[in-house]
Amino acid sequence: MQIDFTYGEGKHGAAYGGAAGPSSVSPDAVAASMAKGDGGFGREQTSYFEHPVVRKAHWGWEIVWYFYLGGLMNGSGLLSSLADTIGSSEDAALIRNGRYVGLVLAGASGALLIKDLGRPDRFYYMLRIFKLKSPMSVGVYALALFSGAIGLAVLDQLHRDRVLPVNLGGFVPKLVQNLLVALGAGVTASYTGVLICATAIPFWYNGRKHIPAIFVCSAAATSCAFNSALLSLTGGSAETIQKLEKIEILASLAEAALLLDFQMRSKEHGAPLFTGATGKKLKTFTLGLGIIAPVLINLPALFGKRGTAKHHRLKTLLAAGLTLVGGYMMRQTIMDAGKTSADDARATLRAPE
Amino acid sequence: MTEIDLIADPHAKMGFFTDVTLCIGCKACEVACKHWNELPADGYAMSGNSYDNTNRLSSETWRHVAFVEQMDRVNPLDSRWMMMSDVCKHCTNAGCLEACPTGAIVRNEFDDVYVQPDICNGCGYCVPSCPFGVVAVSHDTGLAQKCTLCYDRQKDGMEPACAKACPTDSILFGPIEQLKATATARLEKLNAQGKNVRIYGLGEDMGAVGDLNAFFMIPDRPEVFNLPPRPVLPSTFQRTAYTSAFIASMALGVIAWNVMAAKD
Repeated sequence: MQIDFTYGEGKHGAAYGGAAGPSSVSPDAVAASMAKGDGGFGREQTSYFEHPVVRKAHWGWEIVWYFYLGGLMNGSGLLSSLADTIGSSEDAALIRNGRYVGLVLAGASGALLIKDLGRPDRFYYMLRIFKLKSPMSVGVYALALFSGAIGLAVLDQLHRDRVLPVNLGGFVPKLVQNLLVALGAGVTASYTGVLICATAIPFWYNGRKHIPAIFVCSAAATSCAFNSALLSLTGGSAETIQKLEKIEILASLAEAALLLDFQMRSKEHGAPLFTGATGKKLKTFTLGLGIIAPVLINLPALFGKRGTAKHHRLKTLLAAGLTLVGGYMMRQTIMDAGKTSADDARATLRAPE
Repeated sequence: MTEIDLIADPHAKMGFFTDVTLCIGCKACEVACKHWNELPADGYAMSGNSYDNTNRLSSETWRHVAFVEQMDRVNPLDSRWMMMSDVCKHCTNAGCLEACPTGAIVRNEFDDVYVQPDICNGCGYCVPSCPFGVVAVSHDTGLAQKCTLCYDRQKDGMEPACAKACPTDSILFGPIEQLKATATARLEKLNAQGKNVRIYGLGEDMGAVGDLNAFFMIPDRPEVFNLPPRPVLPSTFQRTAYTSAFIASMALGVIAWNVMAAKD
């Protein structure tokens, strides 16, 4: 008995051939596919119907904002503890602002993280165990440490501001308080990059050398920008603003260098961040408007000598605003790139770089 | 082949051996799993991809039968239609378990990876940490959910619902060592017939993930079934990532220290 197997050309038409009917596939492609053992589909069967292999994180705007506000929080806390330990007398306003901002943002961070849970009523289950192997667990304890330390610093500040008659946190030596704030800020700022890089998402884990450092640099730059804007608006010292702008420039330049190095070293796996709409967003808002523009605006501050600082409110606010937008867009694009990468079956099935 | 008997030793390492060459795509495993674990239906959406309308494993689909069509246009009699019942791999070093911050994900006495529903708070960090995209957070319960390898049935000495329902013994449940022996024997037999099959989930290709407690016999490359040829273990990336953050923090700390302390 003769069976007609000429799919697509026989009486059944293209229906039996499916999407890759003979009309759309050249004989060469069929032969190449056969040679590869792909069964003559004429297309490389490199995944199962292009379904994603790994699952993207469900994280939405809450976590992007948490990454962003967390960076501001850590930087503000660290700047206040540094200024309190080694700063000069005109830094008093920075100490006060940094402490209050740190505490408010610690509360906001906690709220955002709890809102993001599938079961917010169980948020305290995070404290059942401490697990060094889970960056999520490390982060929860780092945030708790920072919150506690900044709480003590705020008690001290309330006493200084004559709101509280006694310093309720005075039983902890000042140097220890400042060290705890610095430690909490350092670990909290560091773990977020590790959190996303220690996953099975190809773009994120392939960026593990760069992303955590970029997050830290951006935390420093945005927090300096935020605090200089705050000081500028509340009539703070021009000397302090100049110091902040110096740190901001150096952190921004480090961030730009890391981003460019990341792009140069990444091959196919960097595509979700550096190409397409996401790449355009990153280059326009983060590299261009968020780093190059404010660095140029603030450049005089880098060479400014102590005692000669002049403060132009408009310039400070403009540079700070641009840096803050750039920092947010960096988090947003890295989060988006992770999602694009997770949905790309071929990227996941490629060998890790 | 006969069903593997449950052995008397209650603490043997138990797992699945899923043989793609025996699967007929009846989806009895999917249905049995949903029934036993009281999981909701997936809806009635048609994917257009062969007979597969479930598409992939999810928080509410713990067995998923993939239908791989390989139409051979040159030698039509060599066309293949392969069915593969996918499931949580219950890895030796499980990414989800390592990522879980609450300790909800544990390894139970049968050596299987189990999410304790009364502990999980739905943080979802296990989801991107699974190199196979298995575990997912349910919109209904807010919890991370995946195959339990029928922990409740195992405790009562019963085999998992999917293995029980499988009419061709494509899904075998039993002590890992016994399953490995079965798989090796079948591999040799089929390869002797020139079938060119391979075992996915055992050996060096699994890297840091280690052997899978649910492994597969597949007649093509792993990619064809959306199985990563070399799965990654996310915790192995932590050292580099922490180092990156640490160097940046220290450098910026030194800069900030010098600038803040500037007195001339």
